[in-house]
Amino acid sequence: MSTLLAATGVQKRFGGFKVLDDVSFEIEDRGLVGIVGTNGAGKSTLFAVVSGQLEADEGSVSFAGHDITGVAPLRRARLGLGRTFQVPREFAHLTVRENFLVAARCEYGETLRSVFGGWHRVDREQRELRARADGWIEFLGLARVAGELAGSLSGGQKKLLELGRMLMTEPRCILLDEPFAGVNPVLVDEISQRIRELNATHGIAFVIIEHHLTALKALVQHLYVMDQGRVIADGDPTAVLAQPRVLEAYMGGVI
Amino acid sequence: MTAYLIAVGIVALIYMLLTIGLNLQYGYTGLINFGVVAFFAIGAYTSALLALHGWWLAPAFVAAIILASIFAYPIGLLSLRLSDEYLAVVTLGFSEFVRIVLQQEEWLTKGVQGLPGIPRMFASMGVGGYADVAIFATLVACNAVAIGLMLHLVRSPYGRLIQAIRDDEVAVEAIGKDPRRLKVQVFMLGAGLAGLAGAFYAHFITYLSPDQFLPLVTFYVWIAMIIGGTGRTTGAVAGSVLLLVFLEGSRFARDWIPGVSEVQMASVRLALVGLGLILFTLYRPQGIMGSRR
Repeated sequence: MSTLLAATGVQKRFGGFKVLDDVSFEIEDRGLVGIVGTNGAGKSTLFAVVSGQLEADEGSVSFAGHDITGVAPLRRARLGLGRTFQVPREFAHLTVRENFLVAARCEYGETLRSVFGGWHRVDREQRELRARADGWIEFLGLARVAGELAGSLSGGQKKLLELGRMLMTEPRCILLDEPFAGVNPVLVDEISQRIRELNATHGIAFVIIEHHLTALKALVQHLYVMDQGRVIADGDPTAVLAQPRVLEAYMGGVI
Repeated sequence: MTAYLIAVGIVALIYMLLTIGLNLQYGYTGLINFGVVAFFAIGAYTSALLALHGWWLAPAFVAAIILASIFAYPIGLLSLRLSDEYLAVVTLGFSEFVRIVLQQEEWLTKGVQGLPGIPRMFASMGVGGYADVAIFATLVACNAVAIGLMLHLVRSPYGRLIQAIRDDEVAVEAIGKDPRRLKVQVFMLGAGLAGLAGAFYAHFITYLSPDQFLPLVTFYVWIAMIIGGTGRTTGAVAGSVLLLVFLEGSRFARDWIPGVSEVQMASVRLALVGLGLILFTLYRPQGIMGSRR
């Protein structure tokens, strides 16, 4: 299979502090890749560089055959590279359904012209989108809260909402930043199952940052371990997590 | 008394147009515009000067709307590069800049002397009386159209997207949407409404001078929006009416506050408005019409 997303030799400094030091990783089309590492290892910074919120000092990022280094986040999203955030960024004053709808590609309804005319065209467009949104809402088990304001959801529900919002953009790859953080164990299994299904049936590739090692190990095919801004190991999840180096860095030598 | 109430009503309706515009900019899109009065002034002077040069009022009004929107374009572009607080400072600065220009460019605006003798709306119906009723009715109609459009806009996909921009701009970009185009458009729409309000003001008051366009006007509009309910179209209606009840009602406060001189009363009125606002934020922080749902 071909490489879908790759970061090569990424460096990022904040002042004198090197947050990312020559980091490279890649994911194949339809792949499932995990990234683990202690707090402050640079995982979220790497996501920000890959999805364009931060610009790398050095190195490059490519996606689906395009060099996307220096490309604005919204263009990366349009190419099919989506992300969720560690702290959910829901549109708090919109309902859950509206959060889904706003993410869909909307040709006519989002032009100022559509406010003044062509209302039938808007209605037709919205009917189709609503059907799609309701499908994903059902799939993610958010149907009961679809009419609620997104700001009133629980932490776990917000994670699902962000994932669903991304799905509305019809992505080829989604970067998930700690999808299991603050989520109860039952919901962890539930979310894992949804990710597997999306990967198997829709061919969506996932890169997942997560501290929940058991769940992650069961989910991904390939695992990267980061420590102090570097990738210190990568490979088969079970094998990688057994390496003494990884144990020491990640568990702080406790085990 | 009826004539007085109609005059107060006209001013309330002018503030209502301003508040609807600001509510679109801040309440729905999150753009902090501290320069509302600039676009109000541009509208007022544009329409007044054109009318003094013999234009009919209808095209002068249209020109006021268009020119106010055009001036909003560069400010809207600036809003793309500035975070919220800085936009607030820039718009406030712009409004003072406009006022100083109106003061200094005497060849055009007659400076501090002001522009007297601006043609009054419906002057053919005589001064006061029926003419005022006609102005009032026209303003009601304009506000009704603006409110109708706004109610439709905020429920449309366009309105959904601007509210998403207000809630989280980073997330809007993450879903592949460009907030920039919409922010500029919204800024221009709101400014156009302020321009229209300015034109009404000019042809109702019939005299313009730069000191009518102090930042205080901007803050009255903010007060109207906040006490009405930010991000609620009906809030703009309730808020601007209540603002005028405060501003005009406090005029009569001297009847029941003993020992206050005429001059002191001006300050007492402002204090009453301030007190009202404080009580509002304490007991009804979401505004009269409440927040959404």
